[in-house]
Amino acid sequence: MRVMRAEPGRFADVSRRTVGAIWRAYDLQLTTYAALLGAVGLVMAYVNTVESGSAALSNGSVFSRALIWSGLAIVVFLVATAFDYQWIKTFAWPLYGLNIALLLLTLAIGAGVGGSARWIALGPLTFQFSELAKILMIGVLAAYLGNREGRLDSVGSILGAVLLIIPPWLLVMRQPDLGTSLCLLAILAGMLFMSGASLKWLLAGASGVLLSIPIALNFLQDYQRARILSFINPTADTQGAGWQVLQAQIAVGAGGLPGTGLTNGTQSRGQFLPVQESDFVFAVLAQELGFIGSLVVFLLFIALLWRVLVAAWRSQDPFGMLYASGVASMLLFQIFVNVGMVVGILPVTGIPLPFISHGGASLVSIALGLGVIQSINIRQQRAEW
Amino acid sequence: MSDPYLVRNRERDRRPLRFVAFGIVMVLVFSLLTARLGYLQITNGRSYAAKADANRTVSVSVPSPRGLVYDRQGRLLVANVASFAVKITPADLPFDQRDTVSTRLGALLNMQPSDILATIDSATGSRFDPVRVKQDVPRATADMVSASASQLPGVTVAIETRRDYPTGTLMSQILGYTGPIDAAGYSRLQADGYLADDMIGQAGLEASYESVLRGTYGQNLVERDATGKDLQVLKTTQTAVPGASLTLTIDTTVQKQAQQALAWGMKAAGLKRGVFIVMNPQTGEILAMVSLPTYNDNLFARGISQKDFQKLATDKTQPLLNNAIQSQFAPGSTFKLVAGTGGLQDRKITPTTLIHTAPYITIAGTRFWDWNHRGFGACNINCGFGNSSDTFFYQVATMLGADRLAYYAHAYGFGQPTGISLPGEASGIMPSNQWKVNTFGQPMFGGETAQAGIGQGYVAVTPIQLITAYAALANGGRLLRPQLVEKVTGPDGQIVTPFKPILVRKLPVSPATLRTMRIAARATVTLRHTYNLVDMPVAVAGKSGTAEFGLRDAQGRLPYHSWFVGWVNKDPASKDFSQTNSQLMFLAFAYSSQTIGNAATEIAKEFLQLHFRIKHNYVLPALLKKGNFYGQG
Repeated sequence: MRVMRAEPGRFADVSRRTVGAIWRAYDLQLTTYAALLGAVGLVMAYVNTVESGSAALSNGSVFSRALIWSGLAIVVFLVATAFDYQWIKTFAWPLYGLNIALLLLTLAIGAGVGGSARWIALGPLTFQFSELAKILMIGVLAAYLGNREGRLDSVGSILGAVLLIIPPWLLVMRQPDLGTSLCLLAILAGMLFMSGASLKWLLAGASGVLLSIPIALNFLQDYQRARILSFINPTADTQGAGWQVLQAQIAVGAGGLPGTGLTNGTQSRGQFLPVQESDFVFAVLAQELGFIGSLVVFLLFIALLWRVLVAAWRSQDPFGMLYASGVASMLLFQIFVNVGMVVGILPVTGIPLPFISHGGASLVSIALGLGVIQSINIRQQRAEW
Repeated sequence: MSDPYLVRNRERDRRPLRFVAFGIVMVLVFSLLTARLGYLQITNGRSYAAKADANRTVSVSVPSPRGLVYDRQGRLLVANVASFAVKITPADLPFDQRDTVSTRLGALLNMQPSDILATIDSATGSRFDPVRVKQDVPRATADMVSASASQLPGVTVAIETRRDYPTGTLMSQILGYTGPIDAAGYSRLQADGYLADDMIGQAGLEASYESVLRGTYGQNLVERDATGKDLQVLKTTQTAVPGASLTLTIDTTVQKQAQQALAWGMKAAGLKRGVFIVMNPQTGEILAMVSLPTYNDNLFARGISQKDFQKLATDKTQPLLNNAIQSQFAPGSTFKLVAGTGGLQDRKITPTTLIHTAPYITIAGTRFWDWNHRGFGACNINCGFGNSSDTFFYQVATMLGADRLAYYAHAYGFGQPTGISLPGEASGIMPSNQWKVNTFGQPMFGGETAQAGIGQGYVAVTPIQLITAYAALANGGRLLRPQLVEKVTGPDGQIVTPFKPILVRKLPVSPATLRTMRIAARATVTLRHTYNLVDMPVAVAGKSGTAEFGLRDAQGRLPYHSWFVGWVNKDPASKDFSQTNSQLMFLAFAYSSQTIGNAATEIAKEFLQLHFRIKHNYVLPALLKKGNFYGQG
């Protein structure tokens, strides 16, 4: 199966252009929205640190780790912007191999809660390679589908993309990480949709997935099934999974219109919220910043997604369009599932809220994705083909 | 941008409709999330805010200092002292660490790990309520437990107050003790603000004055996190009000004299159980109440071990029992007061009526012997009561009949609790025809009525009933409730309840009758029925009693208790017992005292010598020798 063709990189593209031209092509809005969301994430890390009773900058605190990760994310973003994204096409296969290797490594030596293997310790920090896997798979899928332009509405393209995603998907499920594996499927669906794949076959595939849900439920871990069942009937288990959902909704509702003010969230200060610095961070935000603050965050997300879609629209090669679509699909899915979980309209799945949930892998991966999109933005003027 | 290839590509690969569709999905997603957010935060914000408040705030009880207890001279009898208690919060003890923590803690506290786990598991409160594992832990041990807190998850050291009884064994049965509330008590009293690990009065005045001594616990509104850890006190919704203090009628000095006299007599006569009560017959104030053997209530205050408790509870001499009020015995000849009073009042006899006291009388074919098997010839009430002639009182009781006898007995307070403020008072038995029918299905036989007249047969009284009855005789006919508490003083020093004698009833008996009986009681002493009591420099009137009980020995003889109840006038030297001004009434009871003389009388003499500082020793040790002076009435 020769699905990807190695192409020579084009180093010269940017160097031949003036700084002004690059600057004009650079999407400053996208960077601004991302930076603002990153700042909100830092604020929430600060709030969570203070509320847990630690000094903000104490060694190993959530806030100090978030600062380190933010710095790293900025570096990754800048490097990715400077890097010619065309090389991703060239190295699509090695990247895919690296992805699989990292996920296998995670299964082998990774740590996690209750026997799971989700992250690998890197000195004082931990890294969740499944987060990186999402961004890497966006690149791989964009390279694969971009290469098949002209044949994108064929069943073969859909099947090929599905076959590509199955190994990492299985490895992520094995960790087990239901949230990320669902996210991979959402990325696949979003990219196939935007690639112009046959709607008929997409719908057929989607119905197949839906019909297999009852069967899949049997293969879920007990806690995963409990979360989904408690979502369907939250009063059944008010101390376990249902309790988390209930406490999150109480936090959100208690925020009201103006919110209780930063660091004044009683639900977070009293540790009533589960994993309140990561998966349930939006509950803290909604209580402390209220409806108004939550809406501001939503508007920032919408603006960012808009800029990502604009990049997709402007991209003159299919890779850029597909890559940006993949990032947009990932962001939208994660926002929907995470906030939907916090406000109680979706079951609990461990999916981080982009930028705002504490987690280095998530932040760095998003920075990588957005950096590549900026790279795509500034390299559109002189298409070589 | 003029490359035709590029233009073709753009048209084919970039699907505007798909972009629009993606945009619509985005708008739908954010609309849905915003709508839900608005529903939670704006429509229902208030109710969720209330839930969040209910979540985090909890009302916590603030224990109030328990009231103190003083004797009538203001000497401290019960104090509060600070002590360390080791507690475990079950919710904070991880299940897989139960064994290591209990082993480690057991080593520090010198307890069995299994006992620690059993204590936690039998706790009544929620898993978030700390359970007291051990109270009154020495400071050094408490420091060690605190220092190893990191290895003992869920274990905390609390400073609490415990009761301290500086008088030790002197009045344990009166004061009682406090102890941890049990499951039944907790479920009953939870609504009154009792806590799962609360202490509650378990015996004596600590139990009967529980509500007075306890005070009112305060309430703090506390912010608490999800693990149950207190974050801060938001406000004090109710301030704790300390308990009121008690001043007892007990005089420590008199109590000591009574205990010393009783202990001496019991030792000299080799007795196992005894009672001594001292009372002011004008007011009903109990000046001393001793029941031996006794125990030390500090054992309970420090958290009694299961072993020590079992030892006390299974001791055959029942040290935990207050025999003065909780046990009932045949009163023997002391009960002749009732028959005498009734005979005179119902005019069956007059003070001068002579009754022939034969060696025995025969009722329904059975011989009822006088105690000396000789009789005392023709006797009036003075001779009959003074010599304690049984045949005299068989006849008087028969003249009265069972129901009139019971009527006067009830008037004197027999057959019902006196209402003294101590838990577990026995009511005694006074048989009447109705009682006999209710109990055995037939009325009293003649012989049984005669027996009841001399305080035998079915009759049973508590020592407190007997002294209360004689107090009514001494004070001119007022049956008073015996009282132990002189006054209740609030935490602000104001007297909440001052002392007031409580009149149960005026005896339905004329002053003349009572006067006759008092003079007859003096005759008991002057006729030397009580040996040399008459020689003492204080003039005593009273009555001794020897009460058979239990099973006959090989010679057909029954074991017996001995009683003496008596009083002195306001002027102890005054021999005029027509007076009703006595301030000192005393009762001695010696359980199963098979001695040559009446052991109780000797104990009373010893008390009088101690109380009135009489130098000469009137006690006759020969009378306390083992023997069976059968029927010394």
